Amino acid sequence: MSALETSATTSPRASADRRVEVKGLSKSFQLAKTTIEAVRDVTFDVRRGEFVALLGPSGSGKSTVLNMIASLIRPTAGEILIDGKRVVSGRATPNVGYVFQRDTLFPWRTVADNIGYGLELSGVSARERKERIAECVARAGLRGFENAYPSALSGGMRQRAALMRTLIVEPQILLMDEPFGALDTHTKIDMHEVLLRIWEREQQTVLFVTHDLGEALTLADRIILFSARPGRIKDMFAVDFARARDAVKVRETPRYAELFQHIWHSLGEEFIKGRSA
Amino acid sequence: MRRYSTLGTIGWQVLICAIVLSVWQWGYDLRARLPWLVPDLLDPYFISKPSMIFDNFLIQSCLKSKLGVFNGWFNGEFAKCLTRNENNLWAATAITLKNTFFGFITGVVSGFVAGLILGRSDRLSAIFQPFITAVNSIPRIALAPIIVLAFGIGDMSKIVTSWIVVVFLVFFNTFEGARSIDEGFTNAARLLGASEWQITRTVVIPSTMAWVFASLTPAISFALIGVIVGEFIGAERGIGRLIIESEARGEASGMMIAVVVLMLVGVVLSAIIWRLQAYLLRWQRQRSAE
Repeated sequence: MSALETSATTSPRASADRRVEVKGLSKSFQLAKTTIEAVRDVTFDVRRGEFVALLGPSGSGKSTVLNMIASLIRPTAGEILIDGKRVVSGRATPNVGYVFQRDTLFPWRTVADNIGYGLELSGVSARERKERIAECVARAGLRGFENAYPSALSGGMRQRAALMRTLIVEPQILLMDEPFGALDTHTKIDMHEVLLRIWEREQQTVLFVTHDLGEALTLADRIILFSARPGRIKDMFAVDFARARDAVKVRETPRYAELFQHIWHSLGEEFIKGRSA
Repeated sequence: MRRYSTLGTIGWQVLICAIVLSVWQWGYDLRARLPWLVPDLLDPYFISKPSMIFDNFLIQSCLKSKLGVFNGWFNGEFAKCLTRNENNLWAATAITLKNTFFGFITGVVSGFVAGLILGRSDRLSAIFQPFITAVNSIPRIALAPIIVLAFGIGDMSKIVTSWIVVVFLVFFNTFEGARSIDEGFTNAARLLGASEWQITRTVVIPSTMAWVFASLTPAISFALIGVIVGEFIGAERGIGRLIIESEARGEASGMMIAVVVLMLVGVVLSAIIWRLQAYLLRWQRQRSAE
């Protein structure tokens, strides 16, 4: 056990400080006649305002865990508490925002109408909606594209619009499922900048699923490493770079290289296991 | 796709029309000299001639009297002619259009609603599946005589015939559309706090629209077919009735007028649908700016 891990796992915390509590979470799927165990006995907490990355190879169940927290999938065993309240699957938890891997912007709505969708649902007046949409459009750097349909945008622009559609309702907990997985490296780092600036300002509690170690290091306070199927927590790592971080410069520090190497081997083992499974 | 100049395309279209009309008009005259070239079908007794059709059109539409004099708009000849013949071309077209419209609207609305409900409910679709398959395998037109018997020779039987051919078409398309909705969209809406009804209104209906519209152009032709068949079987007015009457008199030009009018009506209705679709589904047509 290295000093890196202990600092993340043993620091005592008041229970009021816990935003998300995941207890003994398991999930099995029935596929044809075989049972696939996707997640096995996963337990962790997330503090208020913490940025946690769930890192692991594909098939390690990290997205399944996220989707259970989001109430999209019903767990086979275990429970999830958000602000002390149990998550009921199929019912959206207030204050929780979700950003999908694939942008799910509605193709029949313009960029502005997509971003304002959540406000429309809760009956916010057209005037207030317009103001808040304009603000979000500006923050996402989408000025001039308000009336374009998503099909006219590039991948990065679409993902920014999708991010704003989630953020406009000001969720305090943000669940992100490989949101930048489909973007090229440069666009991805741009998106990291966008996300870091938003997070620094609003201090949401973030759960960020990724298989990209560099991304996890750039963004997170803590990395939870998942093993290959069945997904279990293999390790946890504190990422102790100073805030506010610069998504490009942070990668050039010796500490980044040190952490990267340290986690890389552990992650690599799981990638190999995942391949042979 | 290669782009061709609009002018060239129109040129070809005009040429094709000219050839078809010329063969129709004068083709049979060649028979005296080249009997092996001209089939019997070109006999004006069967298919009339463009000139005769146009002439007869002017008479039937009360623009011209039977003696070949143009009816005046202001001396009341036109109006008198209209009242003399209850099923004049204008009245017949109006009545057929009216019944087509009602059959179409009721068919589209009921097919859409039923398709949406069954498409969103696994349970209901499982229950109704065999009945729908059974009823759908009936050629709907075969029901027309029964419908006329049940609803009489008035407008109602035409609307019902028209409805029954339209409703299934729209139903199946809506049903398929509602089944194939991307779960990502419904999940995104749900996680943003949408209720089931809000999901239906803001996700299910818009994403089903493309499927619904794909059925509307055939639906409008089907609606017209339903009305005409209903009128063939029993009616006092309408274009179908005009065709039956002309056939009884052995008057090809009368039938052809009705056919041409139906064609124009069909084209106009399809164009309306197309414009509506281009507007409502405008999000589909904007392509990437990259």
